[in-house]
Amino acid sequence: MVIIYSTNTCPYCVMAKDYFKEKGVEFVEKNVQMDHDAAKEMVEKTHQLGVPVIDINGTIVLGFDREAIDKALAN
Amino acid sequence: MYTVYGILYTYYASLISNYMYDLIIIGGGPAGVAAGVYASRKKLNALLLTKDFGGQAVTSAKIENFIGHIAISGLELARALEAQLRAQKHIEIRDGIMVQSVKKIDGGFEVADLKGGTYQTKTVLMTLGSSYKHLNVPGEKEYSGKGVFYCSTCDAPLMQDKAAVVIGGGNSGLEAARDLLPFASKITILEFAPTLKGDAVTQEALRKDPKVEIVTQAQTKEILGNDFVSGLMYVDLATGEEKKLATEGVFVAIGMRPNSDVINGLVDLTPTGNVIVDHKTMQSSAKGIWAAGDITDGSYNQINTAIGEAIKAVLNIHEYLFTDRV
Repeated sequence: MVIIYSTNTCPYCVMAKDYFKEKGVEFVEKNVQMDHDAAKEMVEKTHQLGVPVIDINGTIVLGFDREAIDKALAN
Repeated sequence: MYTVYGILYTYYASLISNYMYDLIIIGGGPAGVAAGVYASRKKLNALLLTKDFGGQAVTSAKIENFIGHIAISGLELARALEAQLRAQKHIEIRDGIMVQSVKKIDGGFEVADLKGGTYQTKTVLMTLGSSYKHLNVPGEKEYSGKGVFYCSTCDAPLMQDKAAVVIGGGNSGLEAARDLLPFASKITILEFAPTLKGDAVTQEALRKDPKVEIVTQAQTKEILGNDFVSGLMYVDLATGEEKKLATEGVFVAIGMRPNSDVINGLVDLTPTGNVIVDHKTMQSSAKGIWAAGDITDGSYNQINTAIGEAIKAVLNIHEYLFTDRV
């Protein structure tokens, strides 16, 4: 499963979501700005405070890093 | 028949190992895209290599000085740039590519990417722009993404009811402080110089807000924390005294550094790493290499000027390829 942690204003989150759509990969978006439980989950699970953070079947990718995303999806 | 070959040649040119492009544009920000559009219209055999589209402009929530638009978000602009470039008939585009090096070869240059691909070209246009400058103090790297941030548009919302520090009192620092206003409980701006350099209008607005404190002559020494940032140490340059600030978010906004590493050694650079160009033609000190936008010396760091510079460069490259050398 792919989870994208985002905020309302983060452009790289939108770029990451577009990238998954383009590849036909389904994802769940968790907005950490609106949803405090999601914010807590992001911090506890990924130890990151900055967005986007992407959880790809347990592999954590920081930022919109296409190569890291491709690698995590291939695994 | 010729047309078919022409199209095949354009699309599969890079599969032929010793194919020599007329022009390789490196970078997909406003300057790179403008160059790509003009190169296509001039029917140059051109290739554009970029990581993604839009450049730094992407992180601006609202751009109000891009001519032709009352206001446009950086992301909308990036999408429009990509769409216009992809609508061109005569340009090869490779995105998701990070260029590693540019080397001089017989009759031109060889560009190598991080994935091991190489491309040969008669001319190069560098439009790689610039990236966030780092503080280079202890704790910065360790806490990057854990309370040290560079994109205030992205991460300001995470500072809800928290105390934040902005390092840098230029326009990007003031913009970061403005992004934080709806969220943070307190915002401290630390500026190294005795006065703030950012626009007077924004300064005035920030000074009126009781949440904002401005500290000048402050040199950041260290970012502190455990799992996440908890504070920072700075030196008050007026007294020499070390002071500690408690904060959960440090937004670094001390300016930009040009992404000229890949051509370091090939062209003359200023001490800050900007490519020195002839501003009439945008050609660098090396024959065959041009540069446009924020990577150049004396750039005004504007989307509009970067576009103009890139167009000047392509028109001059066209002259160089088809006039000067005949």
